[in-house]
Amino acid sequence: MNLKELTIKQAHELLEKREVSSVEMTEAFLKNIKKEDKNIHAFLSLAENEAIKIAKKVDERIAKGEPVEMLAGIPAAIKDNILIRGAKTTAASKILENYIAPYDAAVIKKLKEEEAVFVGKTNLDEFAMGSSTENSGFGPTKNPIDLKRVPGGSSGGSAAAVKAGFCVYALGSDTGGSIRQPASFCGVVGFKPTYGAVSRHGLIAMASSLDQVGPITKNVEDAAQVFEAIRGKDELDSTSIAREWKDFARPLDIEELKIGVPREYFTHGLDKDIEKNIRAVIAKLEKEGAKIEEISLPYSEWALAAYYIIMPAEVSANLARFDGIKYGFSTLQSPSSKLQKLMDVYLKSRGEGFGAEVRRRIMLGTYILSAGYYDAYYKRAQKVRRLIKDEFDNIFKSVDVVLTPTTPSTAFKFGEKTSDPLSMYLADIYTVSVNLAGVPAISLPSGEVNGLPVGLQLIGKNFDDIKLLQIAKITETVINEKQHA
Amino acid sequence: MITKKEVEKIAELARLGISEEEKGKFAEDLSLVLGYVDKLSEVNVEKVEPMTGGTALENVVRKDDDSKDIATDEMKAEILNAAPDKENGYFKVPSILK
Repeated sequence: MNLKELTIKQAHELLEKREVSSVEMTEAFLKNIKKEDKNIHAFLSLAENEAIKIAKKVDERIAKGEPVEMLAGIPAAIKDNILIRGAKTTAASKILENYIAPYDAAVIKKLKEEEAVFVGKTNLDEFAMGSSTENSGFGPTKNPIDLKRVPGGSSGGSAAAVKAGFCVYALGSDTGGSIRQPASFCGVVGFKPTYGAVSRHGLIAMASSLDQVGPITKNVEDAAQVFEAIRGKDELDSTSIAREWKDFARPLDIEELKIGVPREYFTHGLDKDIEKNIRAVIAKLEKEGAKIEEISLPYSEWALAAYYIIMPAEVSANLARFDGIKYGFSTLQSPSSKLQKLMDVYLKSRGEGFGAEVRRRIMLGTYILSAGYYDAYYKRAQKVRRLIKDEFDNIFKSVDVVLTPTTPSTAFKFGEKTSDPLSMYLADIYTVSVNLAGVPAISLPSGEVNGLPVGLQLIGKNFDDIKLLQIAKITETVINEKQHA
Repeated sequence: MITKKEVEKIAELARLGISEEEKGKFAEDLSLVLGYVDKLSEVNVEKVEPMTGGTALENVVRKDDDSKDIATDEMKAEILNAAPDKENGYFKVPSILK
């Protein structure tokens, strides 16, 4: 069993054929975590007992000859901003350091129905705000490929855990690229479904009009498997939508594909070697029969600016719930201070509990939404967001999918971008438009540049998630052929 | 440019306690980001309707039905237990009125 390569389908077959038991598989991953994670720090907490308990249950069912679900007994890692009942859920923030989730997130409920095994909770930038995990309140995660480099973020712990062979797959969340960018940096697959395809109930909210839960996996087929398990309408997330979904296994003909390549995504300081890599994949797809069309998405130019208004505005509202009264870190009982006024509890609990980047975004959002600035910033950004969405809607009238690099650079070194917030924000330049438009997108590993993984992003039409995954599967095959050729 | 005075005002609105030396840093960082997002003034947004959410759905409502209460008694106890101060099943806060 090669833990780093083991896919869901392979793991499922091993279990069904009784070549390996779920307990053995789970123990193998846990052992690897204990051995290697002190160097990587992908996990904030482990759930050994609970994991083994579920694995045993699945083994008993298999022993009885009962059929089990695709994800049954297979070890997964969960980003620590997704609630698992009874487990610590910190969002990598000091303010939630001791918070025990009182309920399961909708996606966890669904995975539990499939008897998935959760080995632990993974590290992230505090409240999912960041692109490197350097904003974690509990120390950064390192990139398994090069320990001097960041794994990307905010789902850096999940991407690193998949790459390092700590789990078969992981869940992440994506508000501006937080699944796709770390997947790109770590050389794994990261899929952000259409906004509304997966319930966010039990995902600690960052920016509610942008947040989406999705899988980080070793290949496209696994991403489709996990997506199938977690999607669906949920009464507890009013933005979730009921759909009839197509069948991923249905074959798609590459000669019927029309792929749009937007020229705006090959600027902004795109690394020349990444460009070469992506263009080579495009050429290969064309050779195989896909139609390639150069397109233009002119409003992309303003996507990051619109994002850095809308996102912090929503952040400032969502994080108002952390008040030192209901749960989380509080100075209310602090014996050293003679706090008597409610305002002091708010100021001190939030001032001490939140890290630098979170406070920066709360401040930014509060300013943007304050009287006199609302129209100039927030309303204008919402209008630009409309233009960006319309632009995507229009482009998908003529192409099936849009192909871009996921990031302008490969994984950067620790500390490289921490002193200047804007330079960190620019790491998301190719991923944020997708969240503003709500469309689905996936990042695929596309070989390496100087020993570091390159990510290729495919963007699909709203609720065309399955078709996007099918096209991603074709692209993955083409990339793999290219590497082996 | 955001001034230190504005930073103090925003921090109070945001209920964030910040230290004296942080004020200068916040003024600098916020000015930097606001300078960048000012880019949006280049876009002609005349007659464009603002996009106010992530979906085209409008007014999704449900009945106020207590049988749909997702919290069991055990869960309610856990939720209350997470609070730093409580009394008789309520969150307890310091006095607001003098």
